[in-house]
Amino acid sequence: MSEFIVFFLHGLAYAGLLFLVSAGLTLVFGMMNVLNFAHAAMYMLGAYFSYTLVAVTGRFWPSLILCPVLLFVAGALVERFLLRRVHVHGHLHELLLTFGLSYIITELVKSVWGNYPLAMNVGGFLGTSIQFLGILYPVYRIFIFLCAVLVGLAMALILYRTRLGIILRASVNDGEMVNALGINVPLVLMGVFGFGAALSGFAGVIAGPLLTTYPGMAHEILIDAFVVIVVGGFGSLGGAVAASLLIGELQSFGVLLFPKLSLALVYLLMAAVLIVKPSGLFGEKQ
Amino acid sequence: MTADYLQIKDIHKDYSGLLVLAGVDFTVKEKERHAVIGPNGAGKTTLFNIISGKFRPSSGAILFKGRDVSGEPADVLSRMGLARSFQITNVFQELSVFDNIRSGVRSRYGLRYHFFRKPDNNGRINARTEAIAEELGLKDFLHVPASSLSYGQQRALEIAVTLSTGPELILLDEPTAGMTREETAQAIQMIDRVTAGRTLVIIEHDMDVVFSLADTISVLHYGKILVSGAPDEIRCDQRVKDAYLGEEHE
Amino acid sequence: MILQKQAPHLSIATLFALGALVPLVLRQYHVNMLTEIIIFALYAVSYNLLLGYAGLLSFGHAMFFGTGAFAAAVALLHIPGLSLWGAIGFAVAMTTVTGFAVGGLLLRHKGSYFALLTLAFNSLFYAVATKWQTVTGGDDGLSVTRPALNLGFATVKMAAISNFYYFTLVIVGAAMVFCWYFTRTAMGQTVLLMRENEERMKFLGYSTNISRLILFTFTGAVAGLSGAFYTLHFQFVSLSAVSVDMTTTVLLMTFVGGTRTFWGPILGSFVYIIIQNYLSDITDRWPLFMGLIFIFLVLLVPGGLSQIIGSIRDWLTRKRTPDEPAAEKAS
Repeated sequence: MSEFIVFFLHGLAYAGLLFLVSAGLTLVFGMMNVLNFAHAAMYMLGAYFSYTLVAVTGRFWPSLILCPVLLFVAGALVERFLLRRVHVHGHLHELLLTFGLSYIITELVKSVWGNYPLAMNVGGFLGTSIQFLGILYPVYRIFIFLCAVLVGLAMALILYRTRLGIILRASVNDGEMVNALGINVPLVLMGVFGFGAALSGFAGVIAGPLLTTYPGMAHEILIDAFVVIVVGGFGSLGGAVAASLLIGELQSFGVLLFPKLSLALVYLLMAAVLIVKPSGLFGEKQ
Repeated sequence: MTADYLQIKDIHKDYSGLLVLAGVDFTVKEKERHAVIGPNGAGKTTLFNIISGKFRPSSGAILFKGRDVSGEPADVLSRMGLARSFQITNVFQELSVFDNIRSGVRSRYGLRYHFFRKPDNNGRINARTEAIAEELGLKDFLHVPASSLSYGQQRALEIAVTLSTGPELILLDEPTAGMTREETAQAIQMIDRVTAGRTLVIIEHDMDVVFSLADTISVLHYGKILVSGAPDEIRCDQRVKDAYLGEEHE
Repeated sequence: MILQKQAPHLSIATLFALGALVPLVLRQYHVNMLTEIIIFALYAVSYNLLLGYAGLLSFGHAMFFGTGAFAAAVALLHIPGLSLWGAIGFAVAMTTVTGFAVGGLLLRHKGSYFALLTLAFNSLFYAVATKWQTVTGGDDGLSVTRPALNLGFATVKMAAISNFYYFTLVIVGAAMVFCWYFTRTAMGQTVLLMRENEERMKFLGYSTNISRLILFTFTGAVAGLSGAFYTLHFQFVSLSAVSVDMTTTVLLMTFVGGTRTFWGPILGSFVYIIIQNYLSDITDRWPLFMGLIFIFLVLLVPGGLSQIIGSIRDWLTRKRTPDEPAAEKAS
């Protein structure tokens, strides 16, 4: 029984991480209609920045705030100076650009930090374990899940309860009209892309101590985040929540129950969803 | 002449609650020239989109040559002999007039997915393509890209591409949209000539054109057919007058 | 442009003749490299039929390349006495089936969603190859020996690279010529027209789903053929053949060379492999260099190197005819 609880909690922690990554991806896609292939690379940058910051300062908390800020700036700059330029060439070019960025970021990371895994210790209270329900469980994994819940709630509140949220949702439906109403839509979009990058950076900082930090981490999480999007439905925040939980638990229990198949389980789920409901569990019919 | 060549039965269409078509009924006989008229926003183009397979009807049925084709995709309908034109020119802008027309001609001759045969080498297809271009007055522009044509020529090309599949039933969506009166008169003469012997359903605004061209007129108003009948009947119908005058008063 | 109507039969013949003469002057190291370039050129050409001609951005082309590569290796290892033709035929058959099955699942989606799904499926293939060690050899890969070529009247030993080079030049070269021919056939033109105006194509009686599936399957089979030659060339195949990196490679080659011409990707594979071979001696970071070229082209020259070459050619021909009236500006 206690083993079951542990794996369940492991699943929750990974689900939290997956949600943090896929929420940013979904947000940017929903708002800007851009599938950001560099999203996972930015997540990786977050992890590496955090590694260096922790190495310098010896503390984890500052990087949790500073890295997302850095990535927000980076994301906003990318949108302003790169993405906006290729927007006129259409969809394909936006995809190619973000793909190229992810490729370059990966190569840069390799040359700056090396092509090998780096481990990091959180230290402090987060680095300890607590006793409950008859098990000893690491605080850090619980912390990840709580972060995801907080971010999810905050996003939902902003989107559906504030004026900013109304502007954002209106920009999706009719950018020209919102622009005509005196709202600077390009600035809004720059902000959205920056926010997506910040969110990925935040996820990267959090992932650092949980998983190892290495140049392949971007690709690994990107595929899982894509599966979350396919299963949950494109552009749906609720779908991202449900699919993250589903895949997090599937990964976790997959290792326990079918160790040989664990890698393939996630893909099997994706293929099943594609056959049965191609638009995803929560997606609107295309 | 088959009496029920194309039957539209109780077609409804709503877009997330907005009812655009509220039970459209009418019948087109074989070789008939049938005009659909109606005030702006009556749902004429939506009706065409449903008949030609672009949209599915929310309910109702379409029978073409006795077969229920409601919800069939556009390519299936095209292969059954139905073709449509667009109100806003919808051709291959980067391609030459010749390539535009040939795209439909070779489809008709079954040269769609062939892996080895080149359309370039098919004399029958190329001859037919040139013949259609000549019929529509585009013979001198065969190798001009569509995007470089004048507006009137673009409209002619739109019809040429529509005719390229050799259809039996032709739906024309405002073929004279944006033309002057003289251009319209010429265009209609041409349409009358090139569609001779085939069934034609046309959406048209110019009333002179409608009354001179059509055998039967259906008036679409607020998503329903107000009345269907010969031009003389329509001219005298009080409901039609009300529908049109009502609009002008607004 | 893709739609150019001139007949380059002469240039094709010249290229083949040049290709036939090259081993007489080059050292073995370079013949090896040239063989690799020809194989990757076919891979890139097949990819460009999707990207340049149909406008479909796939991040999963390596699933076909890898399937072809592994199918050839597995067939050679498990079927004693299998001929060269048999191995190649088996690889093409396998990738055709794969392309048809995967295409059926993915092609209901378009644009970004299609791109995303192809990447996910490529990862699925990689995961399967990693886990299915009994067949793929897992991390160790598979080693094979090139069988001799039976021409009916004579048998040619394939162990020597120059022999294999000629075999590659003829078969892979012929496949490339067929791909070029394909762009002029009814099917090839249908693909092009669909990218131009998909809606109108439907109203002209073309099933866009069928067209896409046929194209996807065809490009998969061609990529599978190049994969089989990849195995035969290196006499070894590892998981990298089916990895996303192999897709990235073909995307870089194709885009850098230029997606708007047929020969762009061939040029791209030349440039890529030469950069890879010479730059990798100088620096480990040569992929970074490739990435920067790529981004530069995406931002400023979306037609790739072939666009640059085209502009230079235009500029040179314009210089030679100064009588041409200057373009009038409409103001």
